[in-house]
Amino acid sequence: MILLRLAFASLLARRITVGLTIVAIALSVGLILGVEKVRNGARASFANTISNTDLIVGARSGSVQLLLYSVFRIGNATNNITWQTYQDLASRPEVAWIVPISLGDSHRGFRVMGTTADFFDRYKFRSGQSLSFANGDPFSDVFDAVLGADVAAKLGYRLDDDIVVAHGLASFSEHKDKPFRVAGVLEKTGTPVDRTVLVSLEGIEAIHVDWQGGARSGPAISAKAARQMELTPKAVTAAMIGVTSRLKVFTLQRAINEYPEEPLLAILPGVALQELWGIVGIAEIALVGVSALVVATALLGMAAMIFSGLNERRREMAIFRAVGAGPGTIFMMLMLEALLLTCIGIGAGVALLYTGLLIARPYIDAAYGLYLPITGLSAHELTVLGAVLVASVVISILPAARAYRLSVADGMTVQI
Amino acid sequence: MQRATTLAAIIAIALPAYAQQDRQLDAHEHGVGLLNIAFEGDQVAMELEAPGADIVGFEHPPESDEDRAAISGAIAVLATPLELFSIPDAAGCTVVEANAALVGENADHEEHGHGHGHDHAEEGEHKEHADEGEHKEHAGEEHHEDEEGHTEFRAEYLLACTAPDTIDRIAFPYFSQFPNARELEVQMISDKGTQGFEIERDSPVLSLEGLI
Repeated sequence: MILLRLAFASLLARRITVGLTIVAIALSVGLILGVEKVRNGARASFANTISNTDLIVGARSGSVQLLLYSVFRIGNATNNITWQTYQDLASRPEVAWIVPISLGDSHRGFRVMGTTADFFDRYKFRSGQSLSFANGDPFSDVFDAVLGADVAAKLGYRLDDDIVVAHGLASFSEHKDKPFRVAGVLEKTGTPVDRTVLVSLEGIEAIHVDWQGGARSGPAISAKAARQMELTPKAVTAAMIGVTSRLKVFTLQRAINEYPEEPLLAILPGVALQELWGIVGIAEIALVGVSALVVATALLGMAAMIFSGLNERRREMAIFRAVGAGPGTIFMMLMLEALLLTCIGIGAGVALLYTGLLIARPYIDAAYGLYLPITGLSAHELTVLGAVLVASVVISILPAARAYRLSVADGMTVQI
Repeated sequence: MQRATTLAAIIAIALPAYAQQDRQLDAHEHGVGLLNIAFEGDQVAMELEAPGADIVGFEHPPESDEDRAAISGAIAVLATPLELFSIPDAAGCTVVEANAALVGENADHEEHGHGHGHDHAEEGEHKEHADEGEHKEHAGEEHHEDEEGHTEFRAEYLLACTAPDTIDRIAFPYFSQFPNARELEVQMISDKGTQGFEIERDSPVLSLEGLI
């Protein structure tokens, strides 16, 4: 106990160098934990985005790509699925429900997704949670739109406001003649739905009735006239499918993948996610590696500080020896100093992490749609901290051993 | 004779058109097999697809008695799913149905093995037969070249388990059974959703804790 007090007092006496070392350790610990939190947060956020959907069907491309554009609205489809094929799939006996997804237009930086009202029942996130409305109802009219929570919050829309959909994802041509009415606003979900404007498939079709090949062609057709027209879509981008029995899911997957009339791809969302982690995993390892190196650097800095302190403390050590401390006690005291330093550093690092998370969370959420939950330290993170502590003990053996040797050799006649 | 020539001409004209429409080829990677597992109630359905090279070490048509013995031996082994994919005893799984077959271009004379075949499954297989037959009829030699002589073993299993929720792991004696198999890509669906795994020869265990 007295050793602990001595060590603490000794650290306090050298508060500037010690303080800087603690800051270095805290920063490195904060970094390694931060990387860990963001990594796990990203995984959880991705994994929580879609649940209870058995298959996702799109044009044949890569499974990761299909997952990214259909669920996460990242990137674009290579091709669409024709409506006839969609109908074909919908009528298969294995299909319990099918919800179409039609992408391609945008509204002030947010993607517009055409779908059916079934989407609100069938889309599930975070292990089975359903979408719920903060305001209003699902779309019932051709020109009704339902806004994700972020869209409504960022653009300040209320129910019954008119919004104009832009053609394409970053273009200046807008469907001004056919505005949509905000029929509902969804509750925040922490998924890409928050940043999506949902409209009916008919709505998507209606705003494009007088368009051809990406540009307006022929005489303009008014919104009123468009309503009267046949608004069966020609194609959808992708579809989410639930099967009647899980035992049928692979049969259906094979049938879709071998669908002769159109090259299609059916994926199990979890399988594509796993594939995605396989790709992202390499970058993750690099990040973890770099932050581990930063921790090592901070610990080496601490060892260097203790080393350089040894010389000026030779008299101090000699006095300890004179009052009866054996060389072993000196060794222990130095080890204790290092341990104390690391512990304070780790504590400060954890505090830094949570303050950082608290401050940065809204920005990360807004900019990347990545919702980082503030949770306690996981078992894995505690292991990391334990490893840092062990590493600090191992590293501080070097200066402590040197102090031990010096204190044996020096005696009282120290020449400084 | 005249008629035969005309017929040949018609076929010759028709052939390229057909080939153009139907020129698709599945990926085929030696060493890598696919395994699908579906959990529904107390039933577990599995499908295995593995390249001939993984299972018997060759993909050419059986030339010798030895080849034929290897194939029928492999099919017999493939018809015993619990010997290949070992499920904890506590789950009380029994095989309801197990079918294994060699499919692909060189398996001209397809061989099938039935563990405990049921009518339903046989029907399915017959359908497959019919498809294959059709292909050959239309595409003839074209089809041969397309497939480049790859063969695949396919197996379907249906298990009934008394306590499927106690399945926390599946071990893969499959790899010791078939020394040429390197990897299995696993797709799984259960109450908890869909999952993907890669099972490598080095660590032939799939941990399913909390996933069923």
